[in-house]
Amino acid sequence: MPRHSVHRACDDFHQTAAAITRRQLIGRSLAAGVTAYMATNTPLRSVLEAAEASAAGAPGAPVLVSVFLPGGCDLLSTLSPTDQGGRLADLRGKLVLPSTPTLPGESRLVAHPALSEGLNGGIAGLFGQGKVGFLPGIDYANPDLSHFHSRHFWETGLITAKDSPGWLGRWLDRHGSAENPLQAVSVDGGLSPVLRTATAPVAAVSSPDDAQMWIAGTWGKASDMGLGAWDRLAARPVSDRPGPRAAATASRLTKSVADTLGQYRSVDNQPVAQLVPRVAYPENSDFADSLKSLAGMLDLPLGIRLATVEAPGDFDTHDNQPEDLGKALTDVSTALAAFQADLEARGSADRVLTFVWSEFGRRPEANDSDGTDHGAGGVAWVQGTRARGGILSDFPALDQLDGEGNLAVTMDFRRVYCSLIEQWLGTDAAEVIPNAAAFGRVALVR
Amino acid sequence: MDWTEQHVRRLFWRAGFGATPEEATHWAAAGRKATLRWVLDGTPGAKLAGPAPVVNGKPLDPLNEWGHDGLWWIDRMIRSPRPLVEKLTLFWHDHFATADQDTPLMLAQNRMLRRYGLGRFRALLGHVARDPAMQLFLSLTDNDKDAPNENFARELMELFTLASGYTERDIREAARALTGWQGKWDDNGFHGIVYVADRHDSGIKRVLGKRGRLGTDDVLDLVCAHPRHAPYLTRKLWDFFVTRPPDAATARRLVAVYRAGGGHVKPVVAEILGHPLLYADLDAPDMVKAPVVLLAGHLRTAGAGITTDSYTWLLSLMGQQLFSPPSVAGWEWGPAWLTTNSVGARFTLANYLLRADADSPGPLPVPDGTGDPKLTAADQVDTALDALGRPWISASSRQTLVDLAAGFYADLVKPWEIKTKPQRADMLQRVLRHLVLTGPDAHLH
Repeated sequence: MPRHSVHRACDDFHQTAAAITRRQLIGRSLAAGVTAYMATNTPLRSVLEAAEASAAGAPGAPVLVSVFLPGGCDLLSTLSPTDQGGRLADLRGKLVLPSTPTLPGESRLVAHPALSEGLNGGIAGLFGQGKVGFLPGIDYANPDLSHFHSRHFWETGLITAKDSPGWLGRWLDRHGSAENPLQAVSVDGGLSPVLRTATAPVAAVSSPDDAQMWIAGTWGKASDMGLGAWDRLAARPVSDRPGPRAAATASRLTKSVADTLGQYRSVDNQPVAQLVPRVAYPENSDFADSLKSLAGMLDLPLGIRLATVEAPGDFDTHDNQPEDLGKALTDVSTALAAFQADLEARGSADRVLTFVWSEFGRRPEANDSDGTDHGAGGVAWVQGTRARGGILSDFPALDQLDGEGNLAVTMDFRRVYCSLIEQWLGTDAAEVIPNAAAFGRVALVR
Repeated sequence: MDWTEQHVRRLFWRAGFGATPEEATHWAAAGRKATLRWVLDGTPGAKLAGPAPVVNGKPLDPLNEWGHDGLWWIDRMIRSPRPLVEKLTLFWHDHFATADQDTPLMLAQNRMLRRYGLGRFRALLGHVARDPAMQLFLSLTDNDKDAPNENFARELMELFTLASGYTERDIREAARALTGWQGKWDDNGFHGIVYVADRHDSGIKRVLGKRGRLGTDDVLDLVCAHPRHAPYLTRKLWDFFVTRPPDAATARRLVAVYRAGGGHVKPVVAEILGHPLLYADLDAPDMVKAPVVLLAGHLRTAGAGITTDSYTWLLSLMGQQLFSPPSVAGWEWGPAWLTTNSVGARFTLANYLLRADADSPGPLPVPDGTGDPKLTAADQVDTALDALGRPWISASSRQTLVDLAAGFYADLVKPWEIKTKPQRADMLQRVLRHLVLTGPDAHLH
């Protein structure tokens, strides 16, 4: 069933299911016992393949990290104007943020207190250092309030229901390697539709330890011959239909990724030096684990140029917004602050730019469930030592709502895409975003 | 239309979780009509068949043990005498995707979907709209006349019934009509849903062109009567079973069957299961198996049962944790199931299926002494396939495996070693079975 992809559910009410973290899952797997065998007995295959070649070819190449906040993050509870108190109170009632200043050097806006959580004052602290540039009011004209439609538009950079590769996938098809699946990685399980390509190989991989292929009860040459046959099984799809092509391609790439990452697996539960984080990340957070793993992989010669991570949490805050959004933003702030500090400690921060986005904003007027329904004019930000800090778009005026009672859109997300492509990836945006000239540009990089 | 074992296997995979070799033989001989009738109606009085699930020496405990809810359902997929009912329940679980609610509520919803899934859609929708897990998930219990919550109204139109043909205003007005539901809570937890007239907005609404003092059932009637509904639902059902799009005449026919049958699901499914396009490319299957279909199919076709709860986290790594779809839109089906991560997890799954350790053997174990070094290369491959319920592999994959077996012998088993190194024949069987269970062909049905 073709489907535009997905968002975290509208499930902000009554969370009870027992959660199990990815780390616990892995801990219970056979993986632990297998690692040492693979590391010591497998002859290193010809690992200086496409990955190292592309990394060696451009060691300082800029990396773009896309972080998705699923569900539609509320602008007015993430960033809130200080000069429209009465109007805000009328619309929001008890959802109004405390007026205590939270953004160093910024008097017109306060940020959610949760954004001050984490190393060095969290996202708000990074803002104070000029490393975060907020984009309030980001959306597109005549916004569609369906999660799936809107998310599809953001993923593809096209306002169309048609199936399409992702906007970064199209960039890869034009500028990426034809050989190296690790040039673009989703680090959180599935493959992000943002990275879907027509031809260029991409990967979903959480860590070198997770990427391995081992046939229990076999060893030595027998095992090698079996895995060699795997390559032949995957060499040609049984037909040209999408399913068989996906089966052959995914099988081939899975082995290629396992081979390439094989040399970086833990030995006796000790990760290789590059994968050891330089700062403390939040514990019990799959999101933080993904970013930690990514920071380490960016220190390996893998040729990673693009990465995607999906934040946990319930940004689709139809009810119980104060609690749910506070928790979700705490997770985001603590994990992203640790990621930034880790990159800086590693000395790789100058080549990594992080872009944080959500599929739409929320209605200015609260509903009666302590929540907000789907709306327009959301929030995004760029983050990094080379990001342009500050408030980079006009904050939508609360007394100028549109006909449906939604915030005005002050920044088209495609303007941001075009700017990221040109200012960060260094190529012509018109190759990837149709009608690119019409969107103008905003300075996002310094 | 011809009716061969290949047809039976295709039908049983798409409408269920695969066919055992015995089923393929039996139903190929019984003919197309009898097979379709059995798939649709089952055998009256038939019960679950096959080995009952045992995990850590005990039966499953779906209410109390984490992950056992999903295993309980997968066990039904493996042992049910009505696999189509389980497959349709999976379809509805995806269609009316609900997650993260208390296990008793999720299991109650599952029973409801199973019971009504082949009946009248409008009746099913009525049960869904009153289902506690759904009501809590999509905020229907928070939908009050003083501040309507649009969550359920929006997904009702976008995902459950129409996908198009309505406006934002229809959603807002429908949300008003859907007010009145309330969850009953006390210190001991949740005690069901009640309708509280005082919470209902009894004013005039206008939904999909109809004006009046509309309530919940009026809105459900309106969306089901909308001209976009039948094309949307019948196409979604088609896409669940068939990869190629229906031609225009087929699409019209499905809509006509649905409407003529008073909005019943079963006649539409019957039409789809009998359609020639479902049997296209019998030598080259092209639908990607969902993770639970892959697992239940491996076990069902091999006559094996559930013996470990490791399947829970393996399915999670493969991207499909039952009762926890990633969003209200359900899972993304098709080629999207296959990534470098999920194929890696499918590869690891086979280690759990084939493992032979005495303390926790897999359902398809390959213990020492399984391999027979005297077999020819081709017989080695047949032995592996027989042990796994003879799953489909392509002719070229089969040749690759035969070549592997031949090369394995030439390289590894010197004639003078056959008696002294019997484990090498075991290793060959492990490698062959692993590749059959995890190679590209294994993901297709």
